[in-house]
Amino acid sequence: MEKKRLDDYEPGPVPSPKGVDRFGFVKQDNTSDGLVKSRSAYEYERYREERRVRKWRKMIGVGGSDWKHYLRRKPHVVKRRIRKGIPDCLRGLVWQLISGSRDLLLMNPGVYEQLVIYETSASELDIIRDISRTFPSHVFFQQRHGPGQRSLYNVLKAYSVFDRNVGYVQGMGFLAGLLLLYMSEEDAFWLLVALLKGAVHAPMEGLYLAGLPLVQQYLFQFECLVREHLPKLGEHFSNEMINPSMYASQWFITVFSYSFPFHLALRIWDVFLYEGVKIVFKVGLALLKYCHDDLVKLPFEKLIHALKNFPGNAMNPDMLLPLAYSIKISKRLEELKQEYETKTGKIRRAREVSEKPMLPGESN
Amino acid sequence: MARKTGNKSLQAKLVLLGDMGTGKTSLVLRFVKGQFSEYQESTIGAAFFTQVLSLNEATVKFDIWDTAGQERYHSLAPMYYRGAAAAIVVYDITSMDSFVRAKKWVREVQRQANSSLTMFLVANKADLEGDRKVSNEEGEEYARESGLSFLETSAKTAQNVNELFYEIAKRLVKANPSRQSGIKLHSRPTESRRRYFCCA
Repeated sequence: MEKKRLDDYEPGPVPSPKGVDRFGFVKQDNTSDGLVKSRSAYEYERYREERRVRKWRKMIGVGGSDWKHYLRRKPHVVKRRIRKGIPDCLRGLVWQLISGSRDLLLMNPGVYEQLVIYETSASELDIIRDISRTFPSHVFFQQRHGPGQRSLYNVLKAYSVFDRNVGYVQGMGFLAGLLLLYMSEEDAFWLLVALLKGAVHAPMEGLYLAGLPLVQQYLFQFECLVREHLPKLGEHFSNEMINPSMYASQWFITVFSYSFPFHLALRIWDVFLYEGVKIVFKVGLALLKYCHDDLVKLPFEKLIHALKNFPGNAMNPDMLLPLAYSIKISKRLEELKQEYETKTGKIRRAREVSEKPMLPGESN
Repeated sequence: MARKTGNKSLQAKLVLLGDMGTGKTSLVLRFVKGQFSEYQESTIGAAFFTQVLSLNEATVKFDIWDTAGQERYHSLAPMYYRGAAAAIVVYDITSMDSFVRAKKWVREVQRQANSSLTMFLVANKADLEGDRKVSNEEGEEYARESGLSFLETSAKTAQNVNELFYEIAKRLVKANPSRQSGIKLHSRPTESRRRYFCCA
């Protein structure tokens, strides 16, 4: 598209063959994410991984044939194993099994193709504008109109037709992109459907509907949980006028797939698909808890920066996730949801009475 | 941080608004880091940056909120423009839709935000002259009618980017010779209280 002056101002070609990490992201020299390990540690890791793969293969059976049976008999074992991380080579398959998307796919043969080929969507231009801006540092999505970008476009377009109320919303691309690194287009599409329409857990489409109602609810719940679990930090946030929307909205909208280390995002997704959105709250709280003593000292600008750039050691999944599991919130989360519904119900009624417009997104 | 600081230092909240893919993040990154990347990751939620500008008469520290552009994210925006001292509404000269959307933002900010707010209408991607859909005159005229300042910029070539922020800084300094609404003034550049100051 660009015509002249390219030579002067091009930032240079994307630094590709220099090196990508094990997930396919172009390495940025300064972010090793603690993945640099000694040789023996690496060997040990590999041995453990192999042992885990064997266990997992036994558990799910060929192509997932034993999965449902196993799950019914030993749900606690499944939960424990998932929390330790699904082996990378089985991730795509297991994600489809635990999210219920495999069943959706089997029940709807030919539907995806129909949506991709024959239907048109009002969101096509929006999708196109974002395609090359989704995981731009991943080799699969870097090539203009390459297979990665084409699959991403197809999945998002198909979804925007499948659910015209949601259409395409910025953020969905990161969900779809993450899925596409582990499964085919059609599988990724049905997994997206399973999540947004709620095949196993509560539907997530409210994250993307007009007014982002579910984002508002989650942020309300999260803010309350911060105040209850980390009162000192909660108080510091309100003194510094930090609203959770400023740092946590993207956690919920993309389930940590945006601007978080990929190896951590994957581990969160393992648990998220099996246990639901609760894990997003728990990981958020765990991050704040781990960095608590630093965060309470920071003034506004530094605080915002810190909340968007957690240190590498905080993002080590083997430290962060156990910390997250130890935070119990299920019951409170449900209560806060009721509270939120009562509150917004009241606001809605008050608005109807007074006819005074209130800005959406206005808290307190 | 400030070399030729006068004796005045002020801190100003600045917000960028505009349709998705118009280059809001790219403008900020050009200004803050001097960098440009052709495929800038979409902004989800909002991003925050700071940058200090030294003018002869004062030092201005910008707290910059860069928002997600898509219409659907609209409900999150008020938090960022409320209490802002300056707003940059961005459109893309190759997209008429983005110009229409920019006008909506202008009206909304004029209706809802701080009345002393300094607002710029910015026509970005000026380097893509061949694909231009919105003429310079059109943008300029709309800005004049609405009482805004107007600049054509290119985050890619850096055209007018620093000028934009310098111009905003100058206006803020001029508009705030003494303590009043809109901007936090400190006599010394210390970490002192609050940057969100609602107008009285």
